[in-house]
Amino acid sequence: MSKYLIPVLLILLIVYGSMKKVNIYQSFCSGAKNSINLVYNVFPYICAIMLCVALFRLSGLSSLLVKMLSPLFSLLGIPTEVSELVLLRPFTGSGSVSILENIISKYGADNYISRCACCILSSSETVFYVSAVYFADTKIKNITPAIIIALIGNIVGAIASCLLCRII
Amino acid sequence: MFLSLTTLIFSAPDLIISTMINESKNVVALCINLIAIYAVWMGILEIVDKTGISEKLAKFLYKPIRKIFRIDDKNQIKYIALNLSANFLGLGNAATPSGIKAIKSMENNLKKTKFAILMLIVVNSTSIQLLPTTAIGLLASAGSNNPSSIIIPTLIATTLSTVFGVFVLLIYDKFKKSKNE
Repeated sequence: MSKYLIPVLLILLIVYGSMKKVNIYQSFCSGAKNSINLVYNVFPYICAIMLCVALFRLSGLSSLLVKMLSPLFSLLGIPTEVSELVLLRPFTGSGSVSILENIISKYGADNYISRCACCILSSSETVFYVSAVYFADTKIKNITPAIIIALIGNIVGAIASCLLCRII
Repeated sequence: MFLSLTTLIFSAPDLIISTMINESKNVVALCINLIAIYAVWMGILEIVDKTGISEKLAKFLYKPIRKIFRIDDKNQIKYIALNLSANFLGLGNAATPSGIKAIKSMENNLKKTKFAILMLIVVNSTSIQLLPTTAIGLLASAGSNNPSSIIIPTLIATTLSTVFGVFVLLIYDKFKKSKNE
């Protein structure tokens, strides 16, 4: 089902655009041209954040933090096995997908831990990455409250995921 | 950053620079990917814009967005409407360009739009995706009996996280206002 959704929407868009006498080719090109500029502006910020994450993991501080926080997490109903995922999820999208892959291959696809991890991954977002990209090229400085609030939201999502996977 | 570096000086000083350069290489690769992905989506979005669909979408979503985001500029609402719709469809990469445009259109009038910007970030970073395609794909390829069983819990969890985020933001906003008075 879902694999047809986007292509069908695209065809409808082109038909509708032609009916409205929009120059499809020209519009596409003028939009696509901006993508290089966008990434050009965003690159240094993504780079800085990813470097911090890489060093944080290499130094072993990340696993130390996981160890320190896992009692707190299990108090909230989050299993120790997925606490690394919960902690790293805000920083790196591809990193958390590879953690999820490890969890699935370790515990099996129908295990509670794996399903729980899947829910956590899909109900949260790479908060730091999103904010870095969105604010890369603006004058706005003070976004700390938004980041903290988003992190709280994601933790709530993780707690809910663990609970719901137990029931459903 | 500082803490990681000081720890590493003792544990693995020779790995620091090579890790940084390697990670930077990964980011360059990621960015080249992003150029490709954004080129496709920004091209499509431009067509959507030219056909006037985004105006219609904005009209349709005008009232709820004006209420939730507390702004009434037509242009800003248009970009936010595009951003939210792309997010719902699970097209995070299509949502990003319109989100950035929305923020850029708001940054010159910070007094009025501060709340809207915070709201946009909270909504975008608590995930409002309808179908968890990545996770389902991973489960399916690992041989799960019923990979789509995670859809309902995910949907509830992601709704909860977004609603909770918005709720906390509203409390924060109230608190700040009462402090200013």
